[in-house]
Amino acid sequence: MVFILGVNFPERNLVKKSLESFFGIGNLTSTRLLARFHIHPTCKVGELGNKQVLDITAALSDMKIENDLRRQYLDNIKRLKETGTYRGRRHALGLPVRGQRTRSQIKTAVKLNRMERRL
Amino acid sequence: MVSSFCWSCLTRLPPAPRAILPPTLTAQRVAAFHTSTALFSSPVKKKKGDAPVAKFRQAKSAKMKKKKPVERTRPPAVGERKALKKRIVLSNPNALEIEGMQDLSAENMVDARLRGSILGLPVPMLDQLRAVQAFKPKQGWSIFRRPGTVVRRETLELGRLIDGISSEGENKGKVVRKIVTGVKGSGKTVHLLQAMSMAFTKNWVVITVPEAQDLVIANTAYAPLSDENPNVYVQNDATAALLSRTVTANQKVLSSLSVSQAHPALKSAVKPGMTLEALAKLGIQDPAAAWNVFQALWTELTATAPAPGFEKTFKPRPPVLVTMDNLAHWMKESKYNSINCTPIHAHDLVFVRHFLSLLKPNANKPTLPNGGLILYATSASNSPAVYGLTVALKQLAARQAGVNPSSPEYPQPDPYLNADKRVLAVFDASKSTAPKEGALELQTLSGITREEARGFMEYFARSGLLRETVTDAWVGEKWTLAGGGVIGELEKLGRRLRVIA
Repeated sequence: MVFILGVNFPERNLVKKSLESFFGIGNLTSTRLLARFHIHPTCKVGELGNKQVLDITAALSDMKIENDLRRQYLDNIKRLKETGTYRGRRHALGLPVRGQRTRSQIKTAVKLNRMERRL
Repeated sequence: MVSSFCWSCLTRLPPAPRAILPPTLTAQRVAAFHTSTALFSSPVKKKKGDAPVAKFRQAKSAKMKKKKPVERTRPPAVGERKALKKRIVLSNPNALEIEGMQDLSAENMVDARLRGSILGLPVPMLDQLRAVQAFKPKQGWSIFRRPGTVVRRETLELGRLIDGISSEGENKGKVVRKIVTGVKGSGKTVHLLQAMSMAFTKNWVVITVPEAQDLVIANTAYAPLSDENPNVYVQNDATAALLSRTVTANQKVLSSLSVSQAHPALKSAVKPGMTLEALAKLGIQDPAAAWNVFQALWTELTATAPAPGFEKTFKPRPPVLVTMDNLAHWMKESKYNSINCTPIHAHDLVFVRHFLSLLKPNANKPTLPNGGLILYATSASNSPAVYGLTVALKQLAARQAGVNPSSPEYPQPDPYLNADKRVLAVFDASKSTAPKEGALELQTLSGITREEARGFMEYFARSGLLRETVTDAWVGEKWTLAGGGVIGELEKLGRRLRVIA
């Protein structure tokens, strides 16, 4: 088991996949990170050297990911609501924000958009 | 009034009192008037579609049957599938043993009388050939009793070449570089295998890259070579694997040679009097040092004289055979990413760079001063289309045919197709000044001749795989069907044909 940014990953996991398990890291960011530290895409977590693990952790801790990023998301929505914009209202009403029709298929908006939005 | 009973029809009459009949059989006996035995009659089936009798005060909803959990077998252990995929079977006990089949040896590898016959690979050598991964899983070794290869014209030429380089004579210590091309199934990989087996019989050192693709598909670790040149990359695990192949296959030769040069890069790890086998094993044990160890091993193998202080144990170095399969993969950008997330060109991998540099005759320092053969094969089945390589090979063929590079007939790359300059540069070798350094040659394998094809088909027949009378006419037919004797196609015909009763 290897600790990356305080999360314990089993050694058999791919490094790329493990990185992508963080909120805010997708394919592109993980590819860039791997390239930055010269890790090949099929590398397993167990094959990482100590220095590489430390480097990755340092790089991740500089990035805005996980809770910081979530907070930023929520803050952005909150700002829309507080300034009384149409988008903010739609967020609060649980309706689609970006001009979709509401006759059918607004499940996602109903599920996610609400007064106390969670991420 | 006429009675409703007809006289002959007695079945309608009231049955005999039941008590008389044995209780078990009564039901069947009285069932019907049939000539077939009652036992054959099918038991009364319940009619389908009968609504189940409704019960009072019970739920009428359809009962959902619980799905049985699907039995999942455990996935095979790690590496098992790959091992099965890469498994190489070299013997088939059901195939017939061939009487009088000769083994490859130093004597018969130059014997022109054996042309068209099959030479078996000596059994002790099989382990060495396996170690350098000379056999490929899709080749048909598993249908014969024991592995053997056809002696074709190119094989004899190769035998003479290897014999000439390693024995006293004008060719001693010569370096020959060849690119082997040919259509699919023309025997390029087997040609490399034959070269390896001949080199082993002559006690050469054999260094192989069995699959060029493995180095560029980003499946092994990579790192910048050093701080001074961060744009060149070293692949330590792949180098360690190369060292391990080399040590296992050439154990006998390497253990008889000892270190003769100073290796400052390896510091104190190298002790005087150490064998080359032990030197190479340093790199296997510690992959981080693998590249330095490989370079040290290479300097040792190309040494002509001992450095001062090492004279006591120096022995002349044997010639070296370097083979590589599937060249095209090394001629484009690899799947590795540089620090800026741009693809790394294959030529920036130091491993690849080293092996490609062997193709160029070196003016100052001979590439292989002790002589040797550099054989790189292309592949026709799994190879990326690289325009630069296509042009470079055409240019090579033209140069070999005597076309002057400045003449208008000399093939030039289409300026709109962006041929890779670095690829062209690899093959664009001027003739070397050194007499022992051969220029790069292109060897195109095509079909085998009819006589060779006959020998090959007879091999199938004598192994019991082919039940036909092998006549010249029959062989001619198959030779044509196989696209003019393309040996891979002939093999397919040989193993597919069955006798028509």
